[in-house]
Amino acid sequence: MNLKTKLTLIMMLCSSIVIIAQENYTLTGTVVSAADQFGIPGANVLVLGTSTGASTDFEGNFTIKVKNGDQLQFSYIGYVSKTILITNQTELVITLAEDANTLDEVLVVGYGTRKKSHSTGAIAKVEGGDVAAIQASRVDEALAGKLSGVLIQNQDGAPGSDPKIQIRAASSINGNSNPLIVVDGYPISGSLATVNPNDIESVEVLKDAASAAIYGSRGANGVILITTKKGKKGDPSFSYNTYASISSRYLNDNINMTAGEWANTLETGIANGTYDVSEVDPELLNYRINAYKNSPDVMAVEDWLFRNGYSTNHDFSMTGGTENANYFASVGYQNTEGIVITQDYERVNARLNVDTKLGDKFKTGLSFNGFASERGIVGHDMRDLLRAYSIHPIYHTEASIAFVQQLDQQGQNLGLDPFDNGYRGGDAPFNNSIYTLEPGDTAQDWHYGRSGNGIGGSGDSGPATKLDNTDQYQKTYFANVVGYLQYSVIDGLNIKTVLGGDLRDTQDYFWRGLEFDSRARSNQTRLNQIDVKRSSVLSETTLNYAKEIGKHDISAVIGVEFQSLYTNGTALNGTNVPYSDIINYNLLDPADITVTERDETIVRKSIFGRINYAFDNRYLLSVSVRRDGDSRFGANNKFETFPALSLGWNVHNESFYNSDILSLLKPRFSTGSLGTTSDLGAYNSLSLLNPQQTAFGTGFLIPTDVANSDLTWQTNTETNYGIDLGFISNRIRLSADYYTSDIEDILINQSVSEVFGTTSIRLNSGDVRSSGLELELTASVVRKEDFSWDVGANFSTVKTEITDLGGLDELPRVIYGQSGRGPVFRNYVGGEIGEMWGLETSGQVEDSFIEDPTRAVGINSSAFYVVDQNGDGVIDKTKTVEEGGDLVKIGQNTPDFYWGLNSSISYKTFDMSFQLQGSQGGEVWNVDPIYYNSEFGGRLRDSFDADDDGIADHNGEHYLDSNNQLDAQVQDASYVALRNLTIGYTVKPDWISQVGLNSARVYVAATNLLYLWGDDYTSYNPEGVEITQSDYLGPTTYGVQVGASPIVRSFTFGLNVNF
Amino acid sequence: MKNIYKLILGLFLLFTACETDLDQVPPNIASSDSLTDFTGVLNASYYYQLGSVTPMAVMGDFRADNALMDEEPYPAFDRFNGDLTVMEDQFFGPFYSALYKSILSANNVIINSSDANQIGEAKFLRALSYFKLVQVFGDVSVILTTPDIGDIPTFDLTRQPAADVYTNVIIPDLQSAMAALDNSELASGRATAIAAQALLGKVYVHMGNFGSAESHLAAVLNGAGSTGISLETDYADIFRIDNIENSEIIFATQISSSVIDEYGFSEFWEWYLGQDTKSPTPLDPDLVSAFDASPGDLRRAVNIDEVALRSPKYTQSGGPDHNWIEMRLADVILLYAESLNENGSSAEVVLDLLDPIRTRAGVVMLDHTVLNTQALVRQAIQDERRLELAFEGQRWFDLVRTGTIDIEMGEAINPNYALFPIPISEILASDGVITQNAGY
Repeated sequence: MNLKTKLTLIMMLCSSIVIIAQENYTLTGTVVSAADQFGIPGANVLVLGTSTGASTDFEGNFTIKVKNGDQLQFSYIGYVSKTILITNQTELVITLAEDANTLDEVLVVGYGTRKKSHSTGAIAKVEGGDVAAIQASRVDEALAGKLSGVLIQNQDGAPGSDPKIQIRAASSINGNSNPLIVVDGYPISGSLATVNPNDIESVEVLKDAASAAIYGSRGANGVILITTKKGKKGDPSFSYNTYASISSRYLNDNINMTAGEWANTLETGIANGTYDVSEVDPELLNYRINAYKNSPDVMAVEDWLFRNGYSTNHDFSMTGGTENANYFASVGYQNTEGIVITQDYERVNARLNVDTKLGDKFKTGLSFNGFASERGIVGHDMRDLLRAYSIHPIYHTEASIAFVQQLDQQGQNLGLDPFDNGYRGGDAPFNNSIYTLEPGDTAQDWHYGRSGNGIGGSGDSGPATKLDNTDQYQKTYFANVVGYLQYSVIDGLNIKTVLGGDLRDTQDYFWRGLEFDSRARSNQTRLNQIDVKRSSVLSETTLNYAKEIGKHDISAVIGVEFQSLYTNGTALNGTNVPYSDIINYNLLDPADITVTERDETIVRKSIFGRINYAFDNRYLLSVSVRRDGDSRFGANNKFETFPALSLGWNVHNESFYNSDILSLLKPRFSTGSLGTTSDLGAYNSLSLLNPQQTAFGTGFLIPTDVANSDLTWQTNTETNYGIDLGFISNRIRLSADYYTSDIEDILINQSVSEVFGTTSIRLNSGDVRSSGLELELTASVVRKEDFSWDVGANFSTVKTEITDLGGLDELPRVIYGQSGRGPVFRNYVGGEIGEMWGLETSGQVEDSFIEDPTRAVGINSSAFYVVDQNGDGVIDKTKTVEEGGDLVKIGQNTPDFYWGLNSSISYKTFDMSFQLQGSQGGEVWNVDPIYYNSEFGGRLRDSFDADDDGIADHNGEHYLDSNNQLDAQVQDASYVALRNLTIGYTVKPDWISQVGLNSARVYVAATNLLYLWGDDYTSYNPEGVEITQSDYLGPTTYGVQVGASPIVRSFTFGLNVNF
Repeated sequence: MKNIYKLILGLFLLFTACETDLDQVPPNIASSDSLTDFTGVLNASYYYQLGSVTPMAVMGDFRADNALMDEEPYPAFDRFNGDLTVMEDQFFGPFYSALYKSILSANNVIINSSDANQIGEAKFLRALSYFKLVQVFGDVSVILTTPDIGDIPTFDLTRQPAADVYTNVIIPDLQSAMAALDNSELASGRATAIAAQALLGKVYVHMGNFGSAESHLAAVLNGAGSTGISLETDYADIFRIDNIENSEIIFATQISSSVIDEYGFSEFWEWYLGQDTKSPTPLDPDLVSAFDASPGDLRRAVNIDEVALRSPKYTQSGGPDHNWIEMRLADVILLYAESLNENGSSAEVVLDLLDPIRTRAGVVMLDHTVLNTQALVRQAIQDERRLELAFEGQRWFDLVRTGTIDIEMGEAINPNYALFPIPISEILASDGVITQNAGY
């Protein structure tokens, strides 16, 4: 061969080699985990720069087409990714190492942090991003349904109002169950309203005694730790979030009939015999039916009271830092209109977190949070507004005025009293005659006649008059400043001191004008202004040690803490407010203004310590002790000690442990003792004489508290058994916890006879045992490059039993509700807290026995047949069946279980998430139907019970009016709610960076898109519970509903931008 | 150098401990164990009487044949069955708790005060409170101490028979009060010796002990002149709002628009004036007939308004300032006359006593030749009491003590319903030790 030929041959060979090299070939291999050399299923294999990819199978094997020079990337969640250059390998074994950063995520525990793998307590965590994604105006609303063992109930429904938060079981019989809220290490004296959800880095909830015991006497209700965002090193980056939403009440159909609808029901009922009008004067009957049917311009009260509310929210934050200092700052604004008129909420808040390093040894930081809000509150009880008959327009029109005058003439022809005689109010400038009405005047019940003609209802003022003449709002200003200094003494040992203070100023204003009262009684007017400033100062110093010595991982903390809480307030209560456009205390007679002052100081001192120890990541231990002193307790009992212990075992790290399926197996045990002061005022151990103006000078009233020098805190000893399981390399995690807790020395507000001058005394007597089961499941169902799907679910039960009441079998029974209409609350040994008891009914008395069915809109017999449990012929509502009477258990507000289910899916640039939440088995005693249907008794004809002996003549059954303690008012408070559904779209990175943005996302969301409640529930909000009456005694009288604000459904459109 | 400053700063923060005193007392309120001057407690005892005024007024007139209720469930007052328990929240409950608070305040003064005058006033108030309780409820729980928290669980709350309460508590207290007090505070509204004696007389009448009643009431009438108590010349003047401290009043519960009392419902004058929607026309036609039987009676215009069907007795101009009259001279005269009659005095002597009242009322004197038996005189006095003391919370209790309920009300009424129901919360709170009155 000559050179030319050889050269050509070589070139052909080379080119063929090159061609061969450019061709794809199939590469097979296995991806294994560095720790145990087992294959990793579902790991991603990707040819960089292309869309060619593959996943490993159950044993970690994969096949993929590659060509020489390709970069092949192997990745899996929780492991460090690896990239390999293809150089003609045909088989590969890739070892991926666990990424310590993600598996050992860190949990914030009291006064420190702990690695999640070393954690032994029951601590639930929610990431800040998940909190902000729910567009709730408050952090606590955003947590609903996300955590097992945490029940969040919006009792009031109004925007900006504090929900009830209960972690596990109620730890107090009379006090509230509010957990301790610690923001960046400072226990704030406000509620979670003051924390902007967008500022949150993470939320940890300490549920079991051992985790919360480090907080000693305030930990018994659980602890919520909020960590806000801190700066990171780097150029300043900014974030702007905004959304707008429209809300309305969930149930758009009105519950109450208008008079016209009622007239149809009435006529049909008369025609088919349901109603018997033989005892009603036929002329009066026609008069009334015509009035109901023909009343013009009728507006249903519900249509007037409820509206669509609009809400906007803006939040702007920036973060950045250098080597030595970093910062996070944010500003937020929200304005929400409630769905009830006059209800609204507006807030502004700002936060600044700065952390700096001074040299190698010193670290210091300062946090500032400021918050201001104003909440417009519906000035009058919603139940009372909604019970008005919908027979008239809210404001008169020409047609309705003409109608009313005509009705009066007709009525007088029938011999009824002229309508004007029904007017009981004041003289000018109030309108006292229907003949001087102008269009636009508010319509009142007396314009349509009084109880004489049965049309005008109760003769009260119309609902618009009531609401237009009240004004109520609450303004809150809050600021919290915390600074710390940390000095690193030697490697692993540092000393940290924290000094901080917070101040919360609440102003409550309430005005009720003269026109509110149908009789224009001056002594019903009110001008109240209450101003309370609560502040606290905290000083805390801790010595922290953290070190890993070989297989031993030790961290310890010891500290002292001093806190003083001050409450200063002034309340001005004025009455006899004159009728005027100007509302000013100067217009009142000084004798009509009562001034009350409040000046209280509470001092606490504590010392605490904790040791966390982990051996070889397998054996885990935590021990803590705290000793607290508090000025609120009686002279004999100022100090108490609270110890705790918890243990855990990482079985999956044992050398003998060998399982493919169960990648995490960790049984845990913890026990600890905590206290609670939730129910105590600053001076309850003393007997204080309140001064009162009397006719002879200052008088000293009977003290409400009787002096008790043995007053002490309740001690809650809790044991928690838990197990954490992980499947398929921890893609699926399941936690189960079972806890029992025993609360001793429970503070009981024991009802006493008023012979002693007070309605209740406070004693430490009593013992309550609770237990519950919590399950939490999280799963990464799909985890691919462009598609991921995560699911989380939780389920909790809680059961409480009173085991001792200090020698009593039962606390005195209390009837709690509205004006004596409510169940009998029994709290007895062997029962739960707050059981509702009453008489069993077997049906409502038939409508045919109503003497005059035209007398009220929506009338019913207002009486129920009552079961005589023991057949003794007497209905005794003061004794239970065991005692020979007729009381039986009719309900309980605590649910059998509550649960949550959440899911988030992301596909390429779209994301969707939803949050379902539900509660099952709770009951509520609903007072509203009694008022909406005017069930006030006295509706039955005489022949129903001619001898007045309480037994119906026609069937021999006992019967009673609705205003007794009947089970007819008990309704199912279970619900299932689709709390949130969000669909978002993240704008593609390439073109937005041209606009200078890092990322942008738009989303639409719906809150309470679907809300299902029990069939027998007839009002607007099954979660609503009344707690504001003056005789409310805490959980012992919990479960009555009076006019709760409706469930709100809203649709939101929002935008997040980062740049 | 910088480091040292930082260290100092740190130490400064470290040692900034706040207040460390765990013994905190409020700076602006007194504590009961530190009290030395009991004037304030005594004033509170007077103050608490306010809570009993309206309930007693409504019970006294609406339960009887002077006034009627209109809107359910209030007509329970006009029916005589177990329905009345629904009125507990508004009437019997506040009545009960206010009086026991007055009693406890009085106990505090009696046990702890060193001022004999204060003790006398306290005893008067305690007796008045128990008297009201016994009239309304019959048997009641008795408390004569100021229990502290250890005593409460073991205290005996059993209701004592009314007769025992009279003998053991009310009468001894009034006798002490009579001895300890003088009559200097009559104008100011505080308790006086003469008020104590008048009340004692009335108590004896209620017990049926007309012998003792007669002697005490006689003493009151004899001493009235020198203490400045005399009948007003004009019946209307007794109740005029600008004449509150008039000469006829022996003891009245002071009411003032600048003292906000704890009773939050409609007040007694609102009920009588028909200002409460539950009874816009309260006047009972039976009372109208009673006045018809007394032609030319000047008291008619003051007590009833037949057109509007209500009582204009306590007109309000400018706020609640009418005092509630507990005892006035005319009442004493009538009780005295009644006692004499029961003790067998002649009709002439008895009826002559009523002359000043009759003259003031502008009616003819009662003729002892027509009303010549004890029974007729008794009826005449009762009728006179009705007209004279209408709308002063007396009528029902007079009917109960004379045993004439059925006759006057015109229906056969179960004797159980002479008393009112004990508040249910008391029965529950005492675990059944306090029992309910029969029939409720």
